[in-house]
Amino acid sequence: MKLAPATPTVLVVLGLLGLLGRAAGADPLRLRADALATTASPAGLLVLDGSAAAEPGLSAEAVVWVAGNAALDGGSRGDVLVIALDAHSRDGTRAARLGRFVAVMGALRPVHVDGGSLRLRLPQRFDVELAAGVPVLPGLATSRSWDWLVGGRVARRFGDWGSAGIAYQQRRDDGQLATEELGVDAGAALGRRDDIGARLAYDLVNPGIAEIGLTASHRGKTWRTEVYARHLAASHLLPATSLFSVLGDVPAQRAGAVVTWTAAPRLDLTADAGARRVDTDIDVELALRARLKLDARGAGALSAELRRSGSGMDAWTGARCAGRLALPHALAVSTELELVRPDEARGRGTLWPWALAAINWDRGDWQSAVAVEASASPEYRSRVDALFQLSRRWGMP
Amino acid sequence: MIRRIALGAVLCGLVACAGILGLTRSGPRAFPHRAHVIAGVSCTRCHAGVDDGSPALHLPDDARCTTCHTKPHDTRSCLGCHVAPTAIAELAEARDHLIFDHRRHLAGANGNCMRCHTGVADGDDHMRPAMATCFRCHDHDASRDARKCDACHRDLADQATLPATHLAHDGDWMREHGTRAASSADLCESCHKQSFCAGCHGRTVPALPAARRFADPFAASVHRAGFAARHSLEARSEPGVCTTCHAPERCVSCHTARGINDDRHGSPHPLGWVGLTAADNLHGREARRDPAACASCHGGAGEALCVQCHAVGGVGGNPHPPGWSSRQALSAMPCRMCHPIGSTPSGASRSR
Repeated sequence: MKLAPATPTVLVVLGLLGLLGRAAGADPLRLRADALATTASPAGLLVLDGSAAAEPGLSAEAVVWVAGNAALDGGSRGDVLVIALDAHSRDGTRAARLGRFVAVMGALRPVHVDGGSLRLRLPQRFDVELAAGVPVLPGLATSRSWDWLVGGRVARRFGDWGSAGIAYQQRRDDGQLATEELGVDAGAALGRRDDIGARLAYDLVNPGIAEIGLTASHRGKTWRTEVYARHLAASHLLPATSLFSVLGDVPAQRAGAVVTWTAAPRLDLTADAGARRVDTDIDVELALRARLKLDARGAGALSAELRRSGSGMDAWTGARCAGRLALPHALAVSTELELVRPDEARGRGTLWPWALAAINWDRGDWQSAVAVEASASPEYRSRVDALFQLSRRWGMP
Repeated sequence: MIRRIALGAVLCGLVACAGILGLTRSGPRAFPHRAHVIAGVSCTRCHAGVDDGSPALHLPDDARCTTCHTKPHDTRSCLGCHVAPTAIAELAEARDHLIFDHRRHLAGANGNCMRCHTGVADGDDHMRPAMATCFRCHDHDASRDARKCDACHRDLADQATLPATHLAHDGDWMREHGTRAASSADLCESCHKQSFCAGCHGRTVPALPAARRFADPFAASVHRAGFAARHSLEARSEPGVCTTCHAPERCVSCHTARGINDDRHGSPHPLGWVGLTAADNLHGREARRDPAACASCHGGAGEALCVQCHAVGGVGGNPHPPGWSSRQALSAMPCRMCHPIGSTPSGASRSR
């Protein structure tokens, strides 16, 4: 069994979590273990998740996993998803994080780093966020002493209704400039019913717009409408050290609107219509959904969906229906059925059905689910798999 | 006669549909607080002990109801029918996750509970006041600025209640959250732990069971239902979107492990992918549409394959698009694959 080199660190951090939990006055030490087994690969996965807070303003969390997959390598492996120690001042004006975490810097793409971050709230409602570290790679990685990332964001808050910021991030692989981006973001709640948000990322190495996202929504008593637009240049997602970044891709754009109507207290209808452009191809993206709650809390529900997506050879039409029914003794049964029909079969089959039936047992700290999944796809003429999940949570004072 | 039967059947159907849709109430109804207030019944007469600071919910029992309603119409418990279906669960949730003391508020409100519980006047099912009601008296601007919610909220992450008025997670939140979080990441962190973000955006993420939630068909997920069957279509429709979460190498590692390629040609690419004429060169257009897909297999040392043809003077010609510019040094990768150190771009092209 090959375990990632960070495993001893995990044990140390879990020990630290225990000490923090022992010192904690208000927040207990929380642990969670999840096990997932599936016959699809076949594979098994065990995830341990722990967090604890020691007052005032000191907390830690860690998530570590071990997986076995007979189909991939016949062995087992494990890795660390998160090990982070958080500290913040009593008034919340200063906060720091150390460890392995996801650094979010405004409009720039989130990055998984081993390092640290700092957040300062300055006078005049200005915020400064800084992050630096080594970008995380899966598994064992050596000789990465010159791989690093540094970035930051300066933002200004406007009352409690909005903020705007500008972010910068530079990443080097083996000392060479791999990514350098500038991001601008803005968000505002215009009253209780309207929200808007925007972000733009600009690639400074191979100059060009890497990503744009715009969204605006209006919320009424029974209606909600949203318009959105997105621009994505795939080559800007690659490090500048990749030859593919010099090819100069054609960006993809997408724009559309979503309308949700609560037609009856338990019935929601949603229409999502948009257009997408890649190169010279323009296609229509359409989805219609209906969801009916079977009880006041929505523990049981039925849904149906029709969808049309893609263009040319990649166009497809799909239908999906799902249902969940709550039973006594903390049990629930659920089922899903999906049918996808590609416009052009090209030897991949004319219909790709997929179905799942599951039974779930949720009793507070214990949760378990068993499911059977059956499908036909371009890869398989027919396939039946079983899934099993068991979760346990502990809260230790 | 048949018309009457049909009409009756339609009416029965409509009544049944109205019940299913929640238009009519066949089950428990909201408690008629308004009628009791108008009749002059004080709140603490039923909710006795609300000011004693105990963690009980202070709901009236049958004995208290029958002090006035001396002839109950039913032998069942009063709260079994005369309360909204979710009201008691909401009260229990509020008790567990809010730091609140009725004793300190009763004096300030002069015993007028409706100053906060405004829903009483409207006959609302939900008696828990909205957060905006708190802010009418309490100035929490500093706390909100500092994202310090723990003065009132306990275990926000564990409570798993979506915000109703600020940064509401409605609509297609999976698509929208990136744009919203760009300017409010610190606000997100007031409820979400690092493991929540890293569950998708982490580079060392397995298929976390907590995220998979295969037994909940209504849980938000990026990869719904039979995604494995149609993922190639979706990836082509919006190039680059997969690499938001996945390393480009993810594609080739899975395809290699599963032995997925075109056995007829020994290559995953179709006929006409690489050729001498434009008609036989599908790969150029596809590479410009989705270079990230190419990099999933040909990244790293595999890129050397490209420059065998794509150099100025080579069969593939100049790989740069019109107006190309870069801040990369010629001595850095990947420039030096075509531009040896010290040579000008034009000189380098001839040297290839």
